[in-house]
Amino acid sequence: MPEAFVPLTDFVNESKSTPRDHPLDKPVAKWAEEEVLDGEIVEAGVVILRTRGCYWSIKEGCSMCGYFNDTVPGGVSDDMLREQWKKVRSTLRGKKYAKIYTSGSFIDPTEVPFEFADEIMSDMSDMGIEKVLIESLPEFVNPKNFAYTNAPKLEIAIGLESSNPIVLDKSVNKRLRWPHFVRVCKVARDNGAEVKAYILLKPPYLSEKQSIEDAVQSAIDAAPHVDKISINPVNVQKNTVIEKMWFRNEWTAPWLWSVVEVLKRCEDLPVRVYSDPTGGGTRRGAHNCHDCNNKILEALKNHRLGLGNLMGLDCECRPRWDFLTKQSSLRRNGAEPHGYRSGFTGGRHF
Amino acid sequence: MEPIGHEGLGRLLKLGDDLYTPHVVFSANDLTESADLSSTGTIKIGKTFDLPPSPLGLDSEKAPYLQLSKSIAVFDNAYSTNPKKLVEMASAFRSEAGYSRLLYAPAVEPSQMPILAYLGVDIFDDLNVELRSSTGWVLDSGEWIKQKAQIDDLFSHNRAELSRWVLKIRNAIANGKLRELVEITSLHNPRVSQILYHSAQLLIEQGARVHSTIRSNDLSLNHPAILDFQNRLSDYEPPAKNMVLLILPCSARKPYFKSSSHKRFYNSIREVDNHLALHIVSVTSPLGLVPRELEFCYPAAHYDIAVTGSWSASEVEMLRAQLAKLEPKKHYIKAIVHAGSSSEIMTDLVKELGIEVVNTRVDRPSSYEGLEILQNIAKMTLADVPHLNTKDRAQGEAKGLASFQYGENADFLINSEISGRMPYKLRCGNLAAMSPVVGGFGLTMNGGIEYSSQGGPVVFAEAFKLVGDLFAVGVNAYDGDWNIGDQVVIKQNEVVTAVGIAKMTPEEMISMNRGIAVEVRHHA
Repeated sequence: MPEAFVPLTDFVNESKSTPRDHPLDKPVAKWAEEEVLDGEIVEAGVVILRTRGCYWSIKEGCSMCGYFNDTVPGGVSDDMLREQWKKVRSTLRGKKYAKIYTSGSFIDPTEVPFEFADEIMSDMSDMGIEKVLIESLPEFVNPKNFAYTNAPKLEIAIGLESSNPIVLDKSVNKRLRWPHFVRVCKVARDNGAEVKAYILLKPPYLSEKQSIEDAVQSAIDAAPHVDKISINPVNVQKNTVIEKMWFRNEWTAPWLWSVVEVLKRCEDLPVRVYSDPTGGGTRRGAHNCHDCNNKILEALKNHRLGLGNLMGLDCECRPRWDFLTKQSSLRRNGAEPHGYRSGFTGGRHF
Repeated sequence: MEPIGHEGLGRLLKLGDDLYTPHVVFSANDLTESADLSSTGTIKIGKTFDLPPSPLGLDSEKAPYLQLSKSIAVFDNAYSTNPKKLVEMASAFRSEAGYSRLLYAPAVEPSQMPILAYLGVDIFDDLNVELRSSTGWVLDSGEWIKQKAQIDDLFSHNRAELSRWVLKIRNAIANGKLRELVEITSLHNPRVSQILYHSAQLLIEQGARVHSTIRSNDLSLNHPAILDFQNRLSDYEPPAKNMVLLILPCSARKPYFKSSSHKRFYNSIREVDNHLALHIVSVTSPLGLVPRELEFCYPAAHYDIAVTGSWSASEVEMLRAQLAKLEPKKHYIKAIVHAGSSSEIMTDLVKELGIEVVNTRVDRPSSYEGLEILQNIAKMTLADVPHLNTKDRAQGEAKGLASFQYGENADFLINSEISGRMPYKLRCGNLAAMSPVVGGFGLTMNGGIEYSSQGGPVVFAEAFKLVGDLFAVGVNAYDGDWNIGDQVVIKQNEVVTAVGIAKMTPEEMISMNRGIAVEVRHHA
């Protein structure tokens, strides 16, 4: 096999070295959204805290991850974290479900100090929040990192990305191994936490078809070890390897049809598999033709909330997706000619 | 495989009965995909070959640019690579892939196939054509059109059209017209024209010198042969010091001295005393300036331009640069401009360089009145110019031509016993003689011996009785570097046994087992 990823990683690290000017006392973002909790639809409060960010992103980073853009390389002091917390409490008040994101691992004690985490967990517990979703790399899923004194039920989301070691190594550039993931899921569940797995759809270099197969296989592999699976179509974030490849037209964002296909093929799995495509319907996110983007996104949302299924969706562009998927692996990269999804419209004909 | 023709970096190879490159494979029959990420697919080109693995995790803009299997080299992302970068990659194609691997560019548009073939790609596929077919577009001469009337089986229609398009590229190489096809496809295709623009230097350095007629236009200012000619004008020196520069218009017939207008110019100035001190330089586009001695050289005798009589700003700029290369201040004491539509421009340009210049101000230079004026002005101008005799003039002519053709290695010709007169009788002793086929001095056997000892390129062949041309199978090694079309010396058992014209690049002669390596002009 060709040598690993070093050239592209160099590129990502270049963009990381530019100083970022973020206010330290404000969170990256906060909003409310609909979620499913124990079978019923509830309002969930979502918060992204600004921290030092993911340790792996500082070291090398994954090819599609641009979350380091929101981080502060030197780290954020405890005082500033508490300031940020004060500003997000209003978003969480009265909610049953909270999602606390950092642009890294929440249970990495070097990124989010344990005392601070313990404080906000008991604060949320006091607010009446029943369940908290946090994200982490598998290497930090150790009982002592989330042994909070008083906390809502914990759900740990782990980016599995793929169960295929070649994809993880050559395409995502993530140092995660399948056996490790399995072990970590057991540790989390044995210690009272639920596990949610993120699986990537169409990481760089993979063709449309390869990526569908990879996502389905990864979901099948992961299902016995986790409580739910989120399919994340790769979107183009700033200053990433994938952005560079996207600019070079060596890769295009996945089709929404591919998302639908993966979800359909995962319907019989024992766990909930759903997708909420970031940047869906835009050129940087999963998209189809202009005519059906909104229709499909709506269907995906209903599917996610358990309000509908993915049957009966159709559009003029679906045969095109079908055709491309059949030949995509022969193309040797993840790209397709510009304008194909809309059938190369434009120009008059007679 | 057997090389049959070259143009630029492109090659027409015979792979088997009725199987030639550039070749197109069809995804339905000829391509299979890999079973998983760690295995490879196959491609059928006559026989079935393994493809190299996809470039997982690699930066496409970092060398090595090609993925290699035993018989196939794949140029991934050819469809989208930045034009300048693509040319940089093309310059490394053969050093990475060698000559015996076929170079395959997957998923490219038909309109980009001619330029990619020109830069050395051998194999194309129908992947993009299939995609377009699925959206109802019709392929026509490399372009996409949409029609309302349904075609029964659009897929097979477009496949047949694609085969024809690739056949057209193949025919173009065979007839030395690939450049023309590339220029046609580049006309309104910015990507192709950018690649073409950036590839000029690469084609000068590595491209085959095919002596096909350049049927030129404004666009051809960037033709590699033309740029090369212009660059090498710096190596050239006029025959003697203190001559009078006479700028004449070009002619439709090549070489110019054979045309009726130039015969008339010559007949009228030969009656003037000391007319040998007049140095005739023709002004032309796209070549710029062509001194009389270089009229045989490629491409001065091999082009055909749409004459418009108007000179664009870029052409004027080019003439200025070419005139500077002649260093008029150093070589000429005066100048006469008798060049019809370009007279004004040339007069101004010569003046800029600080030379005394007379413009004959004649609209029709070869008319009876025009010739009379030219003769009178020549008479007046030459009155106080030092006399130049035939022998010195011939010596100077040979020197100028030899340095233009052979550059640094020209000394052995310059120092030889020069005799005869331009154009046909000029000889460098028994070393070289004028040859319209070579386009300048063609080496004799003795010339070949001298040339090889001076550092000229040598092909070492097996020890057999060489009759006719040298084939690639008989080549053992080589020394020096050359482009296709250059003169080379053949040695067998350390003895020079022939001189001729290279029909393959150095490495290619070693890699190939079939095809003509050197077209021999003289045997021992």
